[in-house]
Amino acid sequence: MDDGAHQPDRPANAREDAPVAAAKIRIRDLDFYYGKLRALKKVSVDFPANTISAIIGPSGCGKSTLLRTVNGIYELYPGQRASGEILLDGEDVLNRRYSRSRLRKNVGMVFQKPTPFVLSIYENIAFPIRHYEALSRAEMNDRVEEVLSQAVLWDEVKDKLKRSALALSGGQQQRLCIARTLAVRPEVLLLDEPTSALDPISTARIEQLLVELAKRYTILIVTHNLQQAARISQRVAFMLAGELIETDDRERFFVNPRDSRTSDYVTGRFG
Amino acid sequence: MTAHSAKAMRGIILRRQIANAAVLVAASASTLFGLFWLAWILWTTVSKGAAALKPALFTQMTPPPGTEGGLLNAFAGSLAMIVMAVIIGTPVGILAGTWLAEFARRTHLGAAIRFVNDILLSAPSIVIGLFVYELAVRPVGHFSGYAGSVALAMILLPVVVRTSDEALQLVPDPMREAALALGLPRWKITTKVVYRAASTGILTGVLLAVARISGETAPLLFTALNNQYWTNNLGNPLANVPVVIFQFALSPYDSWHALAWAGALIVTLFVLTLGIIARAAFRQRHLNG
Repeated sequence: MDDGAHQPDRPANAREDAPVAAAKIRIRDLDFYYGKLRALKKVSVDFPANTISAIIGPSGCGKSTLLRTVNGIYELYPGQRASGEILLDGEDVLNRRYSRSRLRKNVGMVFQKPTPFVLSIYENIAFPIRHYEALSRAEMNDRVEEVLSQAVLWDEVKDKLKRSALALSGGQQQRLCIARTLAVRPEVLLLDEPTSALDPISTARIEQLLVELAKRYTILIVTHNLQQAARISQRVAFMLAGELIETDDRERFFVNPRDSRTSDYVTGRFG
Repeated sequence: MTAHSAKAMRGIILRRQIANAAVLVAASASTLFGLFWLAWILWTTVSKGAAALKPALFTQMTPPPGTEGGLLNAFAGSLAMIVMAVIIGTPVGILAGTWLAEFARRTHLGAAIRFVNDILLSAPSIVIGLFVYELAVRPVGHFSGYAGSVALAMILLPVVVRTSDEALQLVPDPMREAALALGLPRWKITTKVVYRAASTGILTGVLLAVARISGETAPLLFTALNNQYWTNNLGNPLANVPVVIFQFALSPYDSWHALAWAGALIVTLFVLTLGIIARAAFRQRHLNG
């Protein structure tokens, strides 16, 4: 992906001297509140299509919060609210007229700890699909195989699809959750520290998988692992205390950051 | 380390070993003390009820004074009322627990209702018996199995509300978030995802509630009362094991005493079995999870 040096399409952020061409997600002046606590402060950032964008920063900087506003998952909890604009293909998803069902079908999410449902491996995939589509048995079997293959899990589970998903290892469960997210055919994938609970081998498999998926999906990944951000992302956004400090292409971000706080963080002076 | 401090360390270790042994002995003795009474109760019911522990216990009706017989009508009556109480109380209890855990978890109303439910949970059962007596016995003019079922349901209800609430709260939030992130509506998340994850916890609660009501006597004295004969009509006074035990134990007849002890043994074994099943189910869940 060479999404770096295209023609500038807006002069909004002064520090943003390399604007992104095809922004899939465009966030403007986003504020977020947990009750009275302001967790995001006027965050503006673009995430390009078919790219892995990593959101990094120290604990409590608001990186997970930013992710959770993109698909409106915070609405599960009373007292949490967001204001500003989150444009997905130009439409504001914070506007309640954007149907929540449509939003969450378009924007899938994978969590820090694997969250398999207490169902069989097959049903973990098939159950959400049934909510959207009436597929025949054969079509459903095909779709389950398709997404499990996409998530590089098919070979490991094809003989035990009827078994409980809870019997899988942590890494397999996480790939199952990615497959389940892909099953409803989203356009954007949000990943909240998806490998922090996994061993290095599982982590490597999931990273390979994400790089592969980035050809077709827009991926936002929150990680506290700088090496991981450097390994798999093309764009990096750095957050600190609820503010977005800097966004840039990976190379420039790590080699030549513009903000001193970014270089302090990247070189391990804090965080 | 100097010789002096090594000696001090040995002293500390010795003191800890003595303390450890003392606490271990005290804890073991306390456990044995508790188990001693349980074993004694079981032994008493077995030995005193031995005379009545024969097939007739399950095939014959409660006998007239001084003659032999069984407890068939009492077992059947108890079973009918327990089943009906479960049918009445379980759906309401699970739904209320669902509301508390899924939709009112951090609200004042939810906290208030949880508090009221806890009061109902610890209400003396005789109060519930008297309440149902006023509600369903006096207006009709006679005791009935239905009234007994309602009284038992009111004792079962708060147990099921409490355990369902807790079982559902144990389901981690990320599982709800994951389902919500797939675009599923709340009702589908609750019924297809959260209930499945909490099913053994909820089932355990129902089993414990059944164990709780199967020995209740006071609420039945005021509602179902007793019946020396078999009846298929729950609108009649209905025989049941606890009240039969109560009446037979107070009687002067040896054959009735033996039946009362045998009834007590069966109820105890029933509760024990339910407890073991509940524990096994819960353990199974945790081993899998």
